[in-house]
Amino acid sequence: MPRYMVERNFPSGLEIPSTEDGRKAMLGVVENNASEQVFWVQTFVTDDHTKTFCVYDGPSPEAVRRAAEINGLPVDRISEISVLDPYFYVGR
Amino acid sequence: MLLEREGLLGALGDRMVDAGSGRGSLVLIAGEAGAGKTSLVRAFIENLNESTLILFGACDPLTTPRPLGPVRDFASDLPGLDLDRDPIDVFADILDRVRHTIRPVVLVLEDIHWADAATLDFLRYMGRRINDSKGVLVTTYRDDEIVGDHPARPLLGQLTPLSSTHLLPVPPLSLDAVTQLARDSGVDPEELMRITDGNAFFVTEVLASGGDLPTTVQEAVLARVAQLGGRARRVVEGVSVAPRSLEIPHAVVIADAELDDVDRALSAGVLIGEGNHLRFRHELARAAVEETLPPARRLGLHLRMLEILDGSDDLARIAHHAIRAGRSDLVVEHAPRAAAEAAKRGSSREAVAFYRAALNHPDILGPDRTADLRVRLADELRYVEEMDEAAEQMRLAIEYFRQVGAVEKLADGLSRLQAILWYLRRIDEGWPLMEEALALLRPRGPSELLAHTFYRAGHGYMVARKAGPAFSYNAEARRLAEELGSERVMFLTLMIEGANQIVMGDPHEGARLLQDAIVMAERMGNERYVSSALNMLGSGAGEARLYDVALPTLDRAVVLDLKLDADATLTYARSWQARIAFEQGRWDDAVSIAELVDRTTDLREGIAHITALSALGRVRVRRGDPGGASLLERMAMVARGHEVQHGWNAVCGLVEYHWLAGHTDGGAEELKHAYGRALDTDSPWGRGELGFWMWRIGLINAPPENAAEPFALQMAGDWEAAAGKWREFGCPYEVAMALADGPAEAQLEALDILDGLGARPLGDRIRNSLRSLGVDNLPPRPTERTLANPARLTDRQVEVLALIAEGYGNDEIADRLYISKKTVEHHVSAIYARLGVTTRAEAARAAHRLGVANRGASTPG
Repeated sequence: MPRYMVERNFPSGLEIPSTEDGRKAMLGVVENNASEQVFWVQTFVTDDHTKTFCVYDGPSPEAVRRAAEINGLPVDRISEISVLDPYFYVGR
Repeated sequence: MLLEREGLLGALGDRMVDAGSGRGSLVLIAGEAGAGKTSLVRAFIENLNESTLILFGACDPLTTPRPLGPVRDFASDLPGLDLDRDPIDVFADILDRVRHTIRPVVLVLEDIHWADAATLDFLRYMGRRINDSKGVLVTTYRDDEIVGDHPARPLLGQLTPLSSTHLLPVPPLSLDAVTQLARDSGVDPEELMRITDGNAFFVTEVLASGGDLPTTVQEAVLARVAQLGGRARRVVEGVSVAPRSLEIPHAVVIADAELDDVDRALSAGVLIGEGNHLRFRHELARAAVEETLPPARRLGLHLRMLEILDGSDDLARIAHHAIRAGRSDLVVEHAPRAAAEAAKRGSSREAVAFYRAALNHPDILGPDRTADLRVRLADELRYVEEMDEAAEQMRLAIEYFRQVGAVEKLADGLSRLQAILWYLRRIDEGWPLMEEALALLRPRGPSELLAHTFYRAGHGYMVARKAGPAFSYNAEARRLAEELGSERVMFLTLMIEGANQIVMGDPHEGARLLQDAIVMAERMGNERYVSSALNMLGSGAGEARLYDVALPTLDRAVVLDLKLDADATLTYARSWQARIAFEQGRWDDAVSIAELVDRTTDLREGIAHITALSALGRVRVRRGDPGGASLLERMAMVARGHEVQHGWNAVCGLVEYHWLAGHTDGGAEELKHAYGRALDTDSPWGRGELGFWMWRIGLINAPPENAAEPFALQMAGDWEAAAGKWREFGCPYEVAMALADGPAEAQLEALDILDGLGARPLGDRIRNSLRSLGVDNLPPRPTERTLANPARLTDRQVEVLALIAEGYGNDEIADRLYISKKTVEHHVSAIYARLGVTTRAEAARAAHRLGVANRGASTPG
């Protein structure tokens, strides 16, 4: 399954509280993603919380978009990505 | 005694309960040979309520199965069922009875891994429609045999996702069950389990064989047969050469035995009696006995079967024994008739096998019959998509016809070979054959064959978009059809005249003629012709971008093709829905339909697949999503062998991708090739769009002749008029592309359209252009588009909410938006959560409050 980097912008900042509400919100996202066979691997967030870089596995960019729609999340750009390991070069 | 099957019987019982309340279902019982599928079905049937109508049919392990064999099995239980009608009418009749009976109906199709093509069509037909009846359709099959290119595989793939389909795998017996069965036998249960892997049939055979433990199921069966005396054993051997079952009187004759011997064979438990028939307890047992017969004895038994069946009308059965007995004279006599019978029922695979069997004996057939059978074989090979062999068989026949001067057969063969070469994408080899056929037939005066050959030539040139021969041949065909009073050719030529006009002449006139053709086909009562004309109008109007005509026509085509199970034209109609949705900027719809086509088509490189996936690839390119270029490259490559009309979308999309990415000449070679081919045609839209991209990347400076108007206007520098035309056609992205060639105000307007579509790459390009023009207060990028919608709903959720407000249910919403019901449910619950409502009525009220209602979902962006 291809891996995608999804860039999202949150001009007013993304806040997810470490509370029961936050837990429910995350769980909801994971469940909604499953309906499109999309798996959320992890997310990097900028310091000011206005931009996120989310790593997803999914069958197609359209499935990633549909999952975002269901979750009400913005999508700025989707790129297909693969891993570059620096130590593969450095270590030899 | 049936062990460990309570759960499966319970599941079957549940289906009966559902069926009682009008929710019918298809049950797929899967397992390896000997797993106990048949025993399960029999136990289920035995416990059914007496009022249940049970229709039982089974497929046979014949060399070549009987066409529609299982349906013939139960035909006598359906009084008045006419099996000689068109298969689709037979299916409709059976469905009608299942739907309208007040009794529950259980329809069993056993062993569909041996099914002929017509039976698989029956299963497809019933499986898709059983849901709103009181019927339960139970099928059994060996799942380990339906692999690779087995014809049942795509069918099961289509049926399994339906909510009315239930898959029941029959697992092997557990050690507990094996222990229980072996209790009084003295056999070590663990050893028994090790040998048999819990295969139910194997276990019972081992326990019945006595003596040393056999290590294969064949050994176990033979050990059991060996316990029988001479004549009873001969009965068993006789029954083994009959696939499935043998009439008791025949069994006595073939074995030189007495009725008592039949009883002895039955009481030993090797055979079981069913009415007037004897059969093995299991096909594994039959095969084990037949395979170990000495060759001469086996041959003798098949020959005796042929004597017994002499004069019978069961052609498939006679042909089977004739082939097994090596009686080439009888093969030659019966196989062609069996083939014709199979072909009539739509069982092409079986027809092919019978024709091949007969063609193995050219010396007996003689050259005339050999050539005739080759033509028929080639025809059937087309349906099973063995096109290379079809071409070869046709070529051999043509060679003979030419040699003996059989002019009409030669001409007919030539035009058939042209059609085959077209499918093989050897288009250029085909045209001379068509011309030769016409040259042969013309001097012989008017005939239906000449009229039809003219029609075929006109049709071929229409597809190739060559106006001259397309119009003139079709006109000749039409003139002959009128002279001969051939309604069929009159319809076909009316349709082609309309298609010619819509794609190469006056599109509005073409649409009018095709509407007439639809009415004519309806009056003729020929639904296949109605479907052809609908698809012709839907795709032709789509190419001419007359969406108001194309979309309702394609909707009608889809409904009719679903009814007719015309899968090839169904996916073609859908692929055009995808292409139009792409052009109208309804990209979510385009994606959903293209995915549907991709999931459901068997023809991976067919034109429907190319059309749909090219639309998907172009959506990705225009959104700036990954995977677009690679998909389009693949489609452009596949399309190279097809007519240029099928490939230009992929090629243009590829060039657009490179242009948006700033690569200077990416895709240029492919584009030049396709453009060169388009210049050889009279297709304004092909010349227009390919020409446009040639112009865009600087390979030409002015529009080619006869290019579609909006493209020609833009290439001539009149971006404003081009944008106006694109607005009339309803293609928002093209409007923006034209505006982007204008000054800053026009570019800002383009940006507004592109942001609305989610077309990031072209939007970014225009933002850069505007910045370089010194415009600073650019609108922000639409990364938070959802904020603009009421209550922060997404665009899709707004569409769903508008449909809820109009009173649509989830099923209808799924149909209208081409998405699954499950996805709709997710959207609905997300909408409820965001609006803070819990019912549809509340959601509808909120929709009105927010001004979302009446924002029709199908309004193009």
